[in-house]
This record gives sequence, C-alpha cells and structure tokens, in this order.
Amino acid sequence: MKEKATYCRMNPHGVFVNGRQKVSFNEIAVEDALTEMYRNLALEYPKFYKMDLLSKVAFLGVELLKTVDPSLVSTQNDDQIGLLFANSEGSTHTDMRFQESYLVDLLPSPSLFVYTLPNIALGEIAIRNKWHGAHMFAVFPNFVPVYYADHGKIMLEEGAKVVIGGWLDVREKLDALFFVMDEGLVNNRENILHFVSKCYSN
Amino acid sequence: MSLPVYIGAESIISSLGRNAAVNFKRICQGLSGITLHKQLGWKESDVYLSRIPELPERGKFLHLLNAVLDDLHQGWDADMLSSPDTQVIISSTKGGISDDLKNPFHPAVTALVARYSLVNRPLILSNACISGVIAINLAARMIRNELCRHVIVLGCDLISDFILYGFQSLYAVSDLPCKPFDQDRRGVTLGDGCGRVILSRDKSTFSSKPMVYLGGSDANDANHISGPSRTGEGLVRAVEKALIASNVNPDQIGFINAHGTGTLYNDEMEAIAFHRLGLDSIPLNSLKGYWGHTLGAAGVIETATCLQSLRNGILPASLGYENPGTTKPLHILKDNRPFDGEIILKTASGFGGGNAALLIQKE
Repeated sequence: MKEKATYCRMNPHGVFVNGRQKVSFNEIAVEDALTEMYRNLALEYPKFYKMDLLSKVAFLGVELLKTVDPSLVSTQNDDQIGLLFANSEGSTHTDMRFQESYLVDLLPSPSLFVYTLPNIALGEIAIRNKWHGAHMFAVFPNFVPVYYADHGKIMLEEGAKVVIGGWLDVREKLDALFFVMDEGLVNNRENILHFVSKCYSN
Repeated sequence: MSLPVYIGAESIISSLGRNAAVNFKRICQGLSGITLHKQLGWKESDVYLSRIPELPERGKFLHLLNAVLDDLHQGWDADMLSSPDTQVIISSTKGGISDDLKNPFHPAVTALVARYSLVNRPLILSNACISGVIAINLAARMIRNELCRHVIVLGCDLISDFILYGFQSLYAVSDLPCKPFDQDRRGVTLGDGCGRVILSRDKSTFSSKPMVYLGGSDANDANHISGPSRTGEGLVRAVEKALIASNVNPDQIGFINAHGTGTLYNDEMEAIAFHRLGLDSIPLNSLKGYWGHTLGAAGVIETATCLQSLRNGILPASLGYENPGTTKPLHILKDNRPFDGEIILKTASGFGGGNAALLIQKE
C-alpha cells in the first residue's frame, strides 16, 4: 500500500488536494475559478475550453491527482489505469443547455449535444492521457462508498494497476471527488470504505 | 477457474413485438419495424424511426421496465426477484428524459424498488451506446466476485425530441432506413427499445435452458469524444481482452453480432478493427436494420437476439446490407443461415470513445 493515499475534493468552498486547500471559490464563480486553475497548471491543452462543466471538473480533478501521485504518470501500460466514476445527475447540466438550444434559440447545438452523456467526461480523460483502460459511469441518488470499494477491487483484479474513483456533481453545486485506488488500498474493505467516506466528508 | 455464469431468460420489446421469440421470428422473416414518421423531426422534417406502439404519453421508461420485469416468470424463477442475492442493473443513456429532464433515472428506480420489493437498489449504468454490453459484463463480474448470485440486466431507451434533434444536429440521421455496412449507408435510424437478460450462478433458476457467459471487456479509443477511431484501436483492444478473459481463440468464434450503426465512420471503424483482429471472414451482422439504434437498450436486446440465435440455430441476415461499403471487406450475412456454431461475439462502440465486447456459448 502506498504511504499516502491521494485524493482531490472539490466543493463550493474550493479545491483541496490531500486535504490541503489549493483554490478558494469564495470570491470567484466556479467556472472562472476552474479556468484559472487550468491556466495555473500551465497545461497547454486548448481543448479544455470546449469542454462542458462536467468534463472540465473531471479533467482538472485528474490533472491535480497527477501532480501528487506519480503512479498515474509512471504506469507504463496504457491499458492499466481504470476509471470508475459516478454521480447523481448524469449529464443534466449540459442536457438543460442543449434543450435550451432547440427550445429557446431554435437551433439544436451539436457541440452541446455531444456532451449530453456523463461518460463523455471519461472520454475526455482518456483522450488527454492516452488511457485505453476499462471505464464505467454509474448514476446513484447520492454518494455511495461501497460502489468504489466493490468495483474498484474488481477492476484491479481484472488487470488495472491503478483505478481512479470519481464523483462528479456540478449542477446545483460543485460536489466532486477524485481518488486513487491501488491493490493495497482495496484489499482491506474496511480500509477503502473508511478512506472514501473520509475523503468525501472533507 | 472462475465460476461459470449462465445467461438467459431474455426478453425484447421493440417495434417488432413484445417478447424475444416474436422479435426473433419477425427478424428471421426479414421484417423491419422502421417506418416513416411525418413531420416528427426537427423543423417538422419527416424522419424514419423504429417506435414501440401503444406506449403511454408519460412514464414510458418505467412502463417498459415494468413490462420486462412483469414477464420474468416466463424465463426465470420470479420469486428470486426480491431476494437479497439478486441485483438489477439498468442500462440507459437518457432514461425518462421526456418526463423530467432534471431527473431522468431516480423516480423510475424508486418505483421499481417499491413495486417489486427489491432488496438491492438497481444500479444505473450510463455509458452511451456501449452501456448494455458493459452492463452484462458488469453483471458477470459481480457474480464471479460473489457480490450477488443473480443479476437482472435491463436496457431501455426511448426516442425523444432531445435525442432526435441531437442526432439530426450532428447530421447523423439517415434519410432512409439505416443500411449498416452498405456502400450507400447514410447514418443511423433511431429506435425505442427495452430488453432483459439474466445472469446467474444457478442454472436451476432458469425455466428454459440458459447459455454460458464466457467473458467480456471494454476499452477506450482515447481519440475523440464523438468520432470513432480511424484505426479501431479501442474495439481491437476490447475484443482482444474479451478473448483472453474468455479463454477463446479467434477461430472458435462462429458468429459476430457487430454494432453496425449505419454511419460512414462507425461501420468503417468496425471493419478495420475486425480486419486487424483477423475476424473478417467470420459471419457477421448488425441488427440495426430491424429496429434502429436503441442506444442504451442496444447491447441488451442484441445480446438477447444472439441467445435466440443459439437457441434456434439461425443467424439472421444483416437487413439493409446489399453491397460492400467498407475499405476492409467483412463477411456480412445477406441471407439468414443455419448456425451450428457454439460461440458468439457481441460488440458495441459509442460516443465517448467507448468499446465493449462479450462472448457467449451454447451450453
């Protein structure tokens, strides 16, 4: 097991990596803060600007994990990083904007429509990192630690070296969590459940 | 050796009928449920669709999920539905979006829990067009890892203004019934669909003979969110991993039920991938010519049709296919043919760059 498990929490107050606040949202709108974060990370990945909010949050969450967890960068085999994501709202934030494009603007927007699926955020992460591994997006009424404990373990047993767990609500308020699971962490069920719950409650 | 997992008790609701046997019969008769709907598209355009008749104005999603659970007893021990050993997985991209844009899934799930006294809350999977295949793979993994003994996989999606205008805005909708893999293919035809398959450790829970689920996998193209890979990379990887997981050699595969949406790029990508995999001489079809692209239901109702092929010993023709239309030729079925093979490969590919594959075998 790694000495220190890695996680990134985003809530209406700000962005926290391994418990330490990186960004405060107190005086700035979330979308603007995310753009500033992107600039500060000096990523030079202009596709970021085209993404919807769900994908921007997921993209930055994983980029922040990479800054503190070398296993995500050094894992050699591009099949061996799994993505295990969920949220409570699917792609509703963009669904509403797409509906507006045909009901209000009277022109259905193809650039919005392509983001009206929650797994597109996983596609954006895969493209950015050239990760071809297993990926799954589930929708629950609320955050479910057991989902990550059970399915993270299965993904790792089926060949992933590392699994990134993600929770990704953005519509009413930013409520996101990203964390890194490896074999050591998931082998003890109590351990992983405790870890995931603790990260989320931060 | 991992636990054997059985798959069966399939059900299909589509424009062609309300159970798996009727759907398979009509497919074998070469019937299509795709019809022209006047002024239903964007700006009152005429559009070809495959619609399930006689659905209620509201609550279609829940209505169909109820329908495929109500006839559960026809293929399976229905008493097991409310067992703590049973998990329901629902594969859907947009659920009941026509009823409530802001809450397309949870109301229906809550209603199912109450109606059928489900112990475990159904799991919703939303992975675009590969959702159904991923849901079946997930079901088997949950059983093999002893998270549960039985998984009921439901797939359901419905045509809505939202979906239709979206596909039209991408210029992805065919102006004729879709023609997967054909040289004149011009895009997708959308369809309503709902289906069910059951995976279980216990053969005795099935009332008609189940087949064996061998294995499955998924992989991402890591290339583009809405366009398929030009090299078929993700599909190649998904099939390769599925073959390893199933301990099957490519020459053991008797038939491939491909995704085959009827768009230029998707079908071309699949042809390249199957060519790279050395599977280009294996008989192959797409079922989209019969009931269109049913999105989150597709992987479920098409796997259900593969189960029917194993039961009935018939491979249906790939409806709409006439002339080769991909740079790498495939062995696409122009006519029904008898099937005495044992192993079928089912694949799916979709938005977000996802690809998934699974293998089933006749018991």
